[in-house]
Order: sequence, then structure tokens, then C-alpha cells
Amino acid sequence: MPKITIDNRTIEVEDGVTLLQSCLDEDLEIPHFCYHPAMTAPANCRQCLVEVGMPRVDRETRERVMDEDGNPVIDFMPKLQTSCSMKVADGMVVRSHRTSELVKRAQKDNLEFLLINHPLDCPICDQAGNCPLQNQTYKYGPEGSRFEFRKVAKPKNIELGPRVVLDGERCINCTRCTRFTQEISGSHQLTIIERGVRNYPMTPPGVVFDEPYSMNVIDICPVGALTSKDHRFKARIWEMSQTPSISTTNAKGSNCVYHVKDNLVLNITTRTNMGVNEFWLADEDRLDYKKFNENRPDGPTVRGQARDWDAAWTEAATLLSGVDGARIQFLGSAHATTEDNYLLSRLAAHVGADTPSYIPHIEEGHGDGWLRTDDRAPNSQGCERLGFFPVDADVLKSRLSAGEIDVLYVMEDDPVGTGVCALSDLEGVKIILHHYHSTNATLPAASVALPAAMAVETVGTFVNCDGHAQRLRPAKAIRGVNRTLAMEVGKSRADLHGTPFDRWYTESNMVDCEPGWVSIPAIAERVGLNLSYKGPRAIMAELSDSNPAFQGATYDAMGEWGFRLDVVGQSEPHPQTA
Amino acid sequence: MTDFIKNPVVPLPDRMPDPVVAKDDLFFTEDEKKQIATWVSRYPTADGAVMRVLWLAQEKFGFLPPEAVQLVADTLDMPYAKVYGVATFYTQYFKEKKGTYVFDVCTCFSCQMCGGYDMLHYLEDKLSIHAGDTTEDGLFTVQEAECLGACGSAPMLQVTNGPYVHNLTREKIDALIDALREGNMPQFESVTLPQDENELGGNRRTDVARTTTYTTPPVSETVK
Amino acid sequence: MASKAGDWRNYERVLLPPVKDLHRLDVFENHGGYDALRQALTTEKWNPSSVTEEVKKSGLRGRGGAGFPTGLKWTFMPPANPDIPRFICCNADESEPGTFKDRQVMEYNPHRIFEGMILAGYAMTIKTAYLYVRGEYADWITHMERELEKAYAKGYVGKNIMGSDFSMDIVIHKGAGAYICGEESSLMNSLEGKRAYPRIKPPFPAQKGIWNYPTTINNVETFAHVPLILSRGADWFSSIGAPSSPGPVLYGISGHVNRPGVYEYPSGMLISDLIDHVAGGMRGGKKLKAVVPGGSSVPVLRADMIDGVAMDPDSLREAGSMLGTAGMLVMDEDTDMVSFLRRITRFYHHESCGQCTPCREGTGWLENIVTRIDEGEGNMKDLDLLIDLCSQMEGRTVCALADAAAWPVRHTITRFREEFEAKCRPSLVATHVESAAV
Repeated sequence: MPKITIDNRTIEVEDGVTLLQSCLDEDLEIPHFCYHPAMTAPANCRQCLVEVGMPRVDRETRERVMDEDGNPVIDFMPKLQTSCSMKVADGMVVRSHRTSELVKRAQKDNLEFLLINHPLDCPICDQAGNCPLQNQTYKYGPEGSRFEFRKVAKPKNIELGPRVVLDGERCINCTRCTRFTQEISGSHQLTIIERGVRNYPMTPPGVVFDEPYSMNVIDICPVGALTSKDHRFKARIWEMSQTPSISTTNAKGSNCVYHVKDNLVLNITTRTNMGVNEFWLADEDRLDYKKFNENRPDGPTVRGQARDWDAAWTEAATLLSGVDGARIQFLGSAHATTEDNYLLSRLAAHVGADTPSYIPHIEEGHGDGWLRTDDRAPNSQGCERLGFFPVDADVLKSRLSAGEIDVLYVMEDDPVGTGVCALSDLEGVKIILHHYHSTNATLPAASVALPAAMAVETVGTFVNCDGHAQRLRPAKAIRGVNRTLAMEVGKSRADLHGTPFDRWYTESNMVDCEPGWVSIPAIAERVGLNLSYKGPRAIMAELSDSNPAFQGATYDAMGEWGFRLDVVGQSEPHPQTA
Repeated sequence: MTDFIKNPVVPLPDRMPDPVVAKDDLFFTEDEKKQIATWVSRYPTADGAVMRVLWLAQEKFGFLPPEAVQLVADTLDMPYAKVYGVATFYTQYFKEKKGTYVFDVCTCFSCQMCGGYDMLHYLEDKLSIHAGDTTEDGLFTVQEAECLGACGSAPMLQVTNGPYVHNLTREKIDALIDALREGNMPQFESVTLPQDENELGGNRRTDVARTTTYTTPPVSETVK
Repeated sequence: MASKAGDWRNYERVLLPPVKDLHRLDVFENHGGYDALRQALTTEKWNPSSVTEEVKKSGLRGRGGAGFPTGLKWTFMPPANPDIPRFICCNADESEPGTFKDRQVMEYNPHRIFEGMILAGYAMTIKTAYLYVRGEYADWITHMERELEKAYAKGYVGKNIMGSDFSMDIVIHKGAGAYICGEESSLMNSLEGKRAYPRIKPPFPAQKGIWNYPTTINNVETFAHVPLILSRGADWFSSIGAPSSPGPVLYGISGHVNRPGVYEYPSGMLISDLIDHVAGGMRGGKKLKAVVPGGSSVPVLRADMIDGVAMDPDSLREAGSMLGTAGMLVMDEDTDMVSFLRRITRFYHHESCGQCTPCREGTGWLENIVTRIDEGEGNMKDLDLLIDLCSQMEGRTVCALADAAAWPVRHTITRFREEFEAKCRPSLVATHVESAAV
């Protein structure tokens, strides 16, 4: 491993990496715009300039030349070097802006150039507050501008595609977006057009920037040139609290950040996890936030009548205890957490029912082998690993019509809406339903309807299609759980800004729902089963101990980046559904 | 939610107005395809031939409307965006319709010193257009060009990416425009080396129709 | 300093010898054309490394502007590996303002270029050569393609050249109007069918050139010298002109002289000789004001700075300029140096590729300020700002275009500051003093 000295500090770095990356790895900031670790480095922004020197080597002996004090003599390169294109080498000596006036000056000069044609409309720019150009200008830039001319005019507020808006004047030509379409997504929909100071990124005429990953360019754009059409002007970045969690649109479980203000999810952006989605997030994952805000139910109901939680749980328990276990069908959920599904299976076993099945959400042809999968639910793997099988709609329907089922217990899903059965099939069947939305199509048939916490409101574990177990963190508060009291919830709420603008404690947007790990133990208690755990952490700890399919997947092991579970073999076909 | 002033988002401007080239005409002939294949064979990848094929398309269609760029991209199996980026980078590819004859009047510093701007302004006055514009009859476009590499015979201009006209004078411009109105492109003009004048008594090439010599440059009236 | 060109008045031209129709293959053959190539390919005396050695020994330096020793450049190529293609590229994207010599070689002696390219290919074991000609030279491209076809037919280019086992193709590539393509790495990107953005160096072309294969790029005139070096010997070549940069040079003289044009003379000619005796003196008997000795990028010299200055790299460096392409612009006493600079800044603004920040933004800013001064709206502080901006651009970009844009600004202002000050609005301080005096 080569040793390099940066600002009088000697560090060991990985061989073959660039100087900029090794500085960033050491938490030594070097300002930069065009460099992105996943893409080639064109070194065009010229912001990461540093002084670089190498030890002088004697031509004949091939040994380093030492000065009087026994230190190697360092020859500095005559020009400043871009650290993003410079590979590290043993003995390299680097002076950054921390120790070199020359570098400091160069960075300041460069920012002055970057800003002369930049509109400086930060007050109305969505990127403000989260803008590398803005941040670095405050840190390293000049106090004012000496530019006294008209700025170059370029197209503004242009819809590049259905989801991305371009402001050509804000662009600093770092080419991250075009490199993304060329090197990462391969859609080749963007190119820099024109030449010199007039150039900016654009689609060729007649092409719409509509690839399924288009919104990644918004994340990587170091200025506000590319913004989200959906999120435009909705909220400033500092008004929202940001919670690292995972997306729920498909089985990939891409890591993301939920942006929440007043208990409403307003935006979803990517979160880097090199083991899952690297730096990227599909557009569908980003736009899938309205479901957390809209059509949410308001408290439990029994046969359509609003009741309090205690009454609803008691009613559910009554339904379960009055029947032969073999005549109860439990449906787990690929949308619910592994913990909740596990509790459900315990409950099913207690009342003598079969292992729950789950409703698969497969959309053939949707997956692309990258971050989108055919499976449109986040936790099918979790269900499979618990021994759940996909429900066979035909079998279920024939059993329903044969009158073999008295009680149908549905966890956080919608059998009618997904077409597993029709409302007419359910006549005469008692239904216990944990549901997310008031639009749930099974809801009209439900005897007991229990509003459930969604992925942004609960704590739990999803297992992605590759067997990667990852934690959910609550991004917004619900009425049922006091966030500051429940240890898990309170601790996991890692606000990046700690913003006073997010008034999560006001009741207005709090949904009256309960997470499965509250509802199911409450029902279980009423049928004589003790399922009281100290929260989901304890459930997962037990599961990781007792079930080989989850071996090692404790919350601590999963941490921020998840835990890769062992591969489990394809299980035998289920006797009931086969 | 705070209500900011909402700048309206405008849809992508319609940069694909009615195609200039009719669908039926939008193809390369078999001969042209053969020519393209020859060009492609000379490079490790087909991308190397893109500049030549863009030239071919421009000669064929007069300029490079989006559909022609697309045709080039398809022919070479290259991403359309990449070809479009290339087409907009170079000044000699016309992205919009120009006059039948495009005058690239060099005004770069040698020509500037020797009256390049006089010639440009004379052309502008004569055709009643500004540099960059096209006459109403669609015959002439006047452009200010960067150094065309004929500094010794300044001032000079180039006609439609083709022949050079050296040692410009007002009379020469008048004659050029008259000839072009009749459809006569200027022929290749060979500039005689001064040392050839001394040693060979004139231009060394016997196969060119027109020759000229490096002459004392005119005094520039305007330099800007 | 004195002329290093020796007895230049009796110099006999070798690059463009006085032969009628030399551009025709038959005439070229009758005057020793392709003899050097035949010698190299068919006699024992020559092998690839001895050709390279001879070029190295001759002291030939690149004629495209940077003046890098040609033979040394050739030795940078890695050892030949039959599995890895390698290329030669001839840079005929002559677009530096004030430079028009390569076009004359292409017009009057194209086969000499081909011969030089093949010899270079032989020296470096290369099978394909690209001749990148700027798109504006359409007529010369047609002309050269015709001549190249004849050379192919005669077996001078192509498979088994002259019956030897050496084969090489020459491909003429037509540009489309971009000054930046004259920069070797952006030329490579242009050849590959990309936007012509310069590349970061290292890696240098010899390691990763066209399509990332080893590549050597030389200028037209440089290649044209190679056959002569082989047929007449390195010693002959190095005895011509200035020892530090020997050989014949094509001087392109333009501007306010009686006989502008391309002249072939030994290197190291005195600037004053070139103006007064070669190019026929100043137009209309005017006085000389300034000279740009080697294309728009090199610093301008005042008339009082050219005494005894010769056109060779050392002499010009001492005088405060550079040899560049030896395309010389001569300006007489009537020249307005502010508008001269305005046009140069405009050129670089137009031609900046837009890749690097300092160049993309800086070139436009420079033009804005110089234009303002030229139009009488400038302030005295603008001059210092211009110098400051030059420092902010120099050495901070991928390629040298930013430097090339900054140097003329810096030097024209420092060397003609009074002219710029005269065009600026008087500063507030000065006005104050004046009125106080009244």
C-alpha cells in the first residue's frame, strides 16, 4: 500500500485509486464538481487542483535523494494537478488548500469563473441548501464578482423529459448527467450540445429524456440545472427531515432517503449502498411517495363502524377463537416487515391454522436486471424465508366457494384489489384486515379493519431479492406510537438537518394506525398467546437465533448497509397450494 | 406548503418541426452506402466515419436537419445523441437551412489587418443583410469566419465550405456574386509562391485553371 | 544576435523545390520522389531503428507549434506487438491564425507528405496512418485524395510497398471546423467520432492514443522533412540554419508587407531580414509597429524588440516570444493594437471547446473586457483585471488553449499598455487631479 503525505499528514492509501478519492476516503475535503466515483473522470471542472510533488530519485542509483536532515527531497510539478485524474504513488506529497496559498487561490479563481455565467438565483433554486456549488462558494469562493457583463442566455425551465427539468444557465458543464446516460444507464439520451461557453446538456431533437433512471441526474447534478419536475418548488431541503431507509416499490430494496415535513413524505432520493443499489435509484422508487400521504384510514373499524383499538382487537380475537383452526386462512404480506409476518405465523400456529401464505405481486417484464424487479413488493424473500408460499388464487377461490374457510386473516394486503379473489367470493367469510389505505378493495367485506403502519412509519426488516436483509427506519410519526418514547423509533430517527421546520409532533397529518408488532401481540394476548417483545429488535434477534434462514441478521449486524443472508434452497412445493 | 412564485415549466421546445426532408427521400442510396462502408472499413470502429458521413448527409440534404442526423446515427449504428453532439460541435455542419451559397468571410487577425471587415461589411451592404443572415431569396448567407488558413492572400472568403476566393476586392466580390447568380461556382484558384515567381516565372502548377499571386495587402479601412 | 540562417540569399529550396508540377506523381518520381522510401525499404542500410536514429540525429523539431524533437517522440512508442494496433496521425488541421504553410505543402508537394508518413510508419512499425485535414481545406482534400489514389496504384502506399513486406494505409480524414482539433488529443477524439474535447495527459498518445492504441502525431511539415533527412543525411539537415532547431522552415508571412506568402528558408532567419528582404519590406513604406512571430498564440513583439532576433526557439525566447508555427503577422504603425487584441480574444472565445471552466468562462470574459475598452467604455482597472484573469487561466486547464488565449492578452497589454490606457476612460483619480490643477 503506497504512503502519501497530504498537508503534512502521512496516510496509507489503496493502490491504483485517484488522489481525490483517497482524500475523500480519509474525510479530507477537496472541493470538486465533475468527479463521481462511479464514472470516468474528465477533469473538466478544474476545481480539485492541488500541488503534487514526488520524491527526487537519483538517476543512477535509483534511490531517493535525501536532504541534510535525512528527509527525501521533493520535486513539485510545475503546474497544479487535478486530484481526480492523478493516481496515487508511493512517496507522493500533496498540498491542498489547507496548506497552500497557491491552491487556495486557484480554487477561488475557479469558482469566480464558474459563477460569472451562473444565474445566482439561489433564492428560487430547488438545489439551494443542498448545492455543491453554493456550499463550496461559501467555503472557498471569492467574496464578490468582478464580472460586469451580460450573462450568456440559455434555455431555462425546459422539460427534458416527464420527470426532469433543465435550467441551462445554471449548468456548469461538469457532464455528470451525460456521462450517466452514457456510462451507467446506457440510454444515451443526453449529450452536451454546441461548443464553448454556449454548451449545455440536451437531448437530441425529438428525443424525450424518459429513461426509467432519469432522475438520478438530479442527484448527481452539482448545481440546480437539473431538478425534479415533481418536487419543484414544493419544499426547501432544510425544511424537511431526512431519514435513511429503503424503498418499497420493488424487491431490490434500493436504499433511499425519505424527506418528510409535517408527517408528509415529500420526496425520495437515493442513498448510497455499494452492496445494493450503489449510487442509483430508479425513478419509480422516487415517485412512489404519495401512497404514504394519501387515502390513509382514520382508526380501526368493526363491520364498518369506527371503534377504538381495544374493541377492534377484542373483536378480532373473538373471531379467531370461535373457529376450528383448520378453517382459518392466514395471508401474510410481502409488503409487511419480516417481524410482523413472523408474529403472524406464530399467531396462526397458536390457533391451529396452517402457515400463512402471501400474495405475490409479480409483474412480468417489469424488471430490467438492474434496480427494478418483476416483483413489485419489497419483502417476498422475507415471507419465503419464513416458510410462506405464494397463495394460489384458484385453490383459495375453490376453498372459499366450497365453504372451507370461515375466517380470512389478511396482513397488510388487498386480496380483492390484487385479483386473488372477488368480493363475491368472500360472502359469509369473516375477514380480519390490516390495511394501509381507505381505498383497499377488500375493506368493504372486512369484519375488523385495522389500519397498519406503512414502511415509513414502522421499524422492521425487509429482505431483498438477493437475500440482503435491511432495516426500515420510521421517517414520519403515527398516532399510535410515540416516537420519542419507543426507544427504537426515537433512536433511529437520524435527521440530517434536525430541522425545526418539520413539525412532526403536531397531530394534523398523523395517521391513526398501528404497526403489526403492536396489533398482532394485542390480538394474540386476547387469544391466550404471549407475543410481547421489547419491540421489533427483540423479534429479529429471536428470529436470527432460531431460524437458519435469518441467521445472523440482528439489527446491529444489519446496521446502515444491511446484512447478506445465506442462500436458502428452493423449498418443496406447499402441500396446500400445490 | 409555502407557495413560491412558480416559474412555468415549458415543454421541450419542438425541435422536430415538420421534417425538412420528406420521409421518402430520407435514405442513403446503394452507392452512398457502399461509399460509407468503405469509410467505415478504414477505422477500428464505425464511429470514426461519422464526420465523413455527416458531410455526405449535408451535401445530400443541403444542411443537417435532425432527421438527417438521425439517419447518420442509424446508418453507423451510433447513439443519436452522440452524433447530434458531434454535429453541433463543429462550425461547418449547418444545423439550420442556409443560403444556396454561404460566404465564410475570414476576419481573423491577418485578414482583419488587411481589410477582412471591409469586405464583410461590403458584402453585408451589397446583400442588405447582417453577418449570420440569409438573403430573402435564399441565395446567399454571409458569415464571419475564423482563420481559414490563407493569411498571405488576405482578405479572403470561402464559398459554401468549398473553393477559396483570395485577395478579395470589391470588384472581385461583385464579379463573384454575379457569377454565383448564374450558378457558376468559382474554380479552384492556386496561389503562386513568391519564390516560384522568381525561380519559375509563375505558378508551378500547369493543371489549374486559375492562379493568383500573393499581393500587397490592401489598407484596411475598418479594423473591428 | 545575428542571423543563423547563413547564406540564405543563395539557399536552394528542398521542401518545395522549384519544379513545375511537382505535385504530380510522375514529376515527383522523376525528381527523386519515393527514393528515400525505396532506400529504406529495400536496402540493408536501413531498418526501423536506424531510420528513427537518423531522424533523431538530424535534430528535426516538430513544426506544428510546440517544437518537440521528432525522433525522440518516435522513441516513446512502446515496442511493437502484432496484436495491438498502432497508428500514425498527420496533423493537417492547420488553424492557428497566421499559419498557412501546410496548405502549400499539400498543394504543391503532397507526395512528400505521404512519403514521410510511410517512412515514419516503417520506423515505428505502424500499419495505418490518418491524415487529419481541416474541413475548410476541402479543395486540397480532393486534390490529395486524387494523388493518394495514384500512389496506391503505383504501390507506394498499401500492401507490400515496393515489394517489401512492409504494408501501410493512409486514410485522409476530413474535419469540420474546430480550431481545437489541432490540439493532438482532441484531434484523436475527433478521429474517433466524438466531440473534440482534449484529453488529460498523461497518458500520452504514445501510450494511449487513437482508440487507446499507441499513436504518434506529427505536423505536415514535420513529416515532409523526413524523406530529405534520409536521402541527404542527418548531418546535412542539421547543418541548415539554427543549430538548436535546424532544417529548412516554411515561413508564412502575412500582414502589412509588400510580398506576403510562404517562403522556404533555413531556420533562424532574422525577423528583420524576413520583413525587409524576403517579404519586400513594409507596405507603403510605413514603419513597423509589431510582429507576431508564430501564430496568434505567441506573444507579440514590439518593433523595438526584434533587433537581431532570429526565428529560432532560443532567440525568440530571449526576446520574449516563441517560434510557434513560424506563421508571422507583420503590423505597421497604423495598426490599432486594441482592436488587434479584440479580434484575437474573439477568436479564442469562439474556439474554446467548453470543457474546462477557466477557458470556457475566461475566454468570453476576456473578449467582453477588451471589446469594452476598444469601444471606449473601459476603465483603467480593466487592464489589471485582464492580466489577473490571464493568471487565473494559465496552466489550469486540460489543454493549452487557455494559455494560448491568455498569452496574447498579457503580452499585448504589457507591451502596448499606453495604447490601451489611451482608449480607457480616464480614471476618477486622474480627473480629480486635473480639475484641481485648473
